[in-house]
Amino acid sequence: METLKYIIKRIIQTIPLLIMVSVISFFVIRISPVDPLAELKLNPSVSPETVEKERQRLGLDKPIIVQYGKWAISFVQGDLGVTSTGEKVSQKLKERIPNTLLLTTLVILLTWLVGVPLGIIAAVNWKSSFDRFLTVLTSIGMAIPSFFFAVLLLLFAVKTGWFPIGGLTSPNFAEMTFWGKVFDVAYHLVLPVIVLFTISLAGLQRQMRANMLDVLDSDYVKFARAKGLSEFTVVYKHALRNAVNPMITLLGFEFAGLLSGAALTEYVFQYPGLGRLILEAVLKSDINLVMASLMMGAFMLVLGNLIADILLIITDPRIRVKS
Amino acid sequence: MIRRGFRVLFVVIFVALVLKGCLVKDVPQIQSSTQIYQERQAKIYPIPENITLNGIDYLQSQAPVGIFGGELITSTIGEGPKTFNPFNSKDNTSSTMAGIMYDGLLTTDPISGKPIPKLAKSYEISPNGVDYIIKLRKGIKWSDGKLITADDVVFTWQDIIFAGFGDTSIRDSLAIDGQLPSVEKLDNYTVKFTTPKPYAPFIRMLSTPIAPKHVFYPAIKKGSSYFDSFLSTNTNPEDFVVSGAFKLKEYVPAQRVVFEKNPNYYEINKNGDKLPYLDRLIYLIVGDLNNEVLKFEAKEIDIISLQGSKVARYKSLEPHSDFDLYNLGPTTGTMYLSLNLNDRKNDKGSYYVNPVKQKWFQDLNFRKAVDLAVDRKNMVFNIANGIAAPLFTPESLNSIYLNKELKPYDKNIEKAREYLTQSGFYNDKSGKLFDKKGNRVEFDLYTNAGNTEREAIGVMVKQDLEELGMKVNFKPIEFNSLVNKLVSTFDWDMVIMGLTGSPLEPNGGKNVWLSDGRLHMFNMRTPQEGKINILPWEKELDEMFTKGALATKFEDRKKYYDRYQEIIYNQKPMIYIYSPVIIMAIRDKFKNIYPSSLSGLTYNIEEIYIRE
Repeated sequence: METLKYIIKRIIQTIPLLIMVSVISFFVIRISPVDPLAELKLNPSVSPETVEKERQRLGLDKPIIVQYGKWAISFVQGDLGVTSTGEKVSQKLKERIPNTLLLTTLVILLTWLVGVPLGIIAAVNWKSSFDRFLTVLTSIGMAIPSFFFAVLLLLFAVKTGWFPIGGLTSPNFAEMTFWGKVFDVAYHLVLPVIVLFTISLAGLQRQMRANMLDVLDSDYVKFARAKGLSEFTVVYKHALRNAVNPMITLLGFEFAGLLSGAALTEYVFQYPGLGRLILEAVLKSDINLVMASLMMGAFMLVLGNLIADILLIITDPRIRVKS
Repeated sequence: MIRRGFRVLFVVIFVALVLKGCLVKDVPQIQSSTQIYQERQAKIYPIPENITLNGIDYLQSQAPVGIFGGELITSTIGEGPKTFNPFNSKDNTSSTMAGIMYDGLLTTDPISGKPIPKLAKSYEISPNGVDYIIKLRKGIKWSDGKLITADDVVFTWQDIIFAGFGDTSIRDSLAIDGQLPSVEKLDNYTVKFTTPKPYAPFIRMLSTPIAPKHVFYPAIKKGSSYFDSFLSTNTNPEDFVVSGAFKLKEYVPAQRVVFEKNPNYYEINKNGDKLPYLDRLIYLIVGDLNNEVLKFEAKEIDIISLQGSKVARYKSLEPHSDFDLYNLGPTTGTMYLSLNLNDRKNDKGSYYVNPVKQKWFQDLNFRKAVDLAVDRKNMVFNIANGIAAPLFTPESLNSIYLNKELKPYDKNIEKAREYLTQSGFYNDKSGKLFDKKGNRVEFDLYTNAGNTEREAIGVMVKQDLEELGMKVNFKPIEFNSLVNKLVSTFDWDMVIMGLTGSPLEPNGGKNVWLSDGRLHMFNMRTPQEGKINILPWEKELDEMFTKGALATKFEDRKKYYDRYQEIIYNQKPMIYIYSPVIIMAIRDKFKNIYPSSLSGLTYNIEEIYIRE
């Protein structure tokens, strides 16, 4: 019951936050000097009437505050509006979201499945040669910018011909058998997953290692060892449970990055996800599309934090007692 | 310690040598642009002819007979098509995609640029230049098996275009003094168009796609907002009924568009087999140029248009690779330097252009001096890597209306100085230029930031003009701010911009050249000002453009448009710099390739086949 109340309270708190995010983003986009009609104005074969008609269609002839009001009303009613070229924003997002989710969930699963155990092993075997080796590897992983790494891998793919140059499916995808399709998608996913995996693995492994080292050094672990508990019980029953709390907060942020975290890599690999869509929308000042994606980002962040908090309540009795 | 220092030094030298080795290998010197120019003398494209078999008026390809099957994979840069409805497309990609599926009555002869029949069998223009009689092919079919008749043509023009459905730019450009042409059906296979006055650009408009009435009519009934989303990218490919060589098979957002051959296409080869040869035509949707190059090198796409800087490398790769390079000649784009001749005040009572600067820009000698100081050849070599041609006229070099009498000239700093002296400009001891009232000649030069080519031109123009002692403040600014300066606030001195034009129809540039045009940048007037303070040569330009549009014979029109180019050549409100040359690479397994500077490489896609 207490938990439910807490959740409802949190949800109500997010409403003013979302409003603020939307107002700031809307005004920043509209006040920026990007004129969605600039290209049209400079095209000799477009008549002034057409430019005027476009201005009215996009609502640019009205004051910003009115434009925002119109947008907000339809947004609350669940209508995301149309893009500057007249396509439905919801349709555009629907086309891309599954692709991005496929990539990001795969990466998150992989990094957590590999990163957390590696962090624990490194902490338990502190200052061993294995730990040192991992430290070097993760340093490299953290040091390479994802953009650069992606370009390197693309060049590698061109030179060797072992991997496709970006995309998600081959041109003859429609004719493939089911397993052929699965293989084709997996084949296209290898390089982008490697990039994102290397980079987030490094951070995660280090975080886990540091948490674990902290805990292993604490009094209650020393006490448990002194009591004569087996090393396995000490590490996995007592230490791990305490070390995992900060990781849950981290998981909340990972959740927020589900839809937007891979944008750069997506762009380099020409991955048909949200990243490319939104980048183009921002460049063209396609207000409805940009607003929809920004709101989605804000929403995911809030939701991610909420989930993390709830998980913390479940795993950490101290918080339960406090609230 | 010292030994370690040596070791580091050794490694550094080694790395430097290796890198240098790579550099030399990668960029072979090309002696001149003519080397690439002379490549591959264009084979003459045999234009398809009409032929009647079993009562059906086919179009017969005259190119060598090929082999059926296979696919061609090409690419489109950006986010892909926004719609497949030919009447709604506002961007290039969408128009290209729709153009593949829907043929127009006429098309353009890829070599001479004349209008030639496509979906129509023949056309005739009445001597008074207002009636266009179009005969259609008998017995040819839409992809769903229904006959293509005069009803479809009348419906397309009357009920879609003239009724204002979709993108209205065609309708806007056809209105002559507010009146639209009319269209009527004479019989099942004959249509007559009548323009209110002789209007030459109309014939080009007949290449507008024709829609199948039985598919589009229900959409029209549902109104204009329904039509805007009709045949959008979410439409089931089965629902398309087309007349072109290919029909949509699959659209995967942000990845590709797949077309398959239309079994009812009306073109046959010399053996009487139905074209196209290829089974499929695939467009990969590629986000940027770099990715496109990588995809070409990884053999994922078959054809690519090359940037100047990449041509040298591809040229050296060509002999031992599986692609051929084709030079399609200069593009339709023009790059120019424009001066602001505006001498008016804004509504707050201040001058758009500083009155001191106005004196310079309005002085023909000053403009001539600027023109002579600009080193076009140097820019072609250093900015466009030699893959461009110097330009002196507003019409692009592949335009069928290009005035060939206007001769190119080289940079001539002495002559430029002479012109300046004639107008009383003088240099002080340190070489700085002053006008006769003693004002230092200093002005701003704008271009849009981010366009590296224009920025590079800006830097070189600045250097060239500084030779004359002018002080040029080169300011690349954001595109939108620049457009705003050019079309709304008029507060600029000199600008480097580019425009695209049509090599077939100079009338498209009327917005730039008419004295009250919307893009008459070099002396822009607000709509309220109308034709205020018109210069004598601006008046003559207006006259040439009005007459040029009303004349119907090519020879007559050529005279008017020759004169307009001559006026610009002499008055220099815009100083043209160069046109990039298009170089394309295509896998050599594709045959029946006839490059054309007007239509590109794959305009005859139905005739292209893959050799064994």
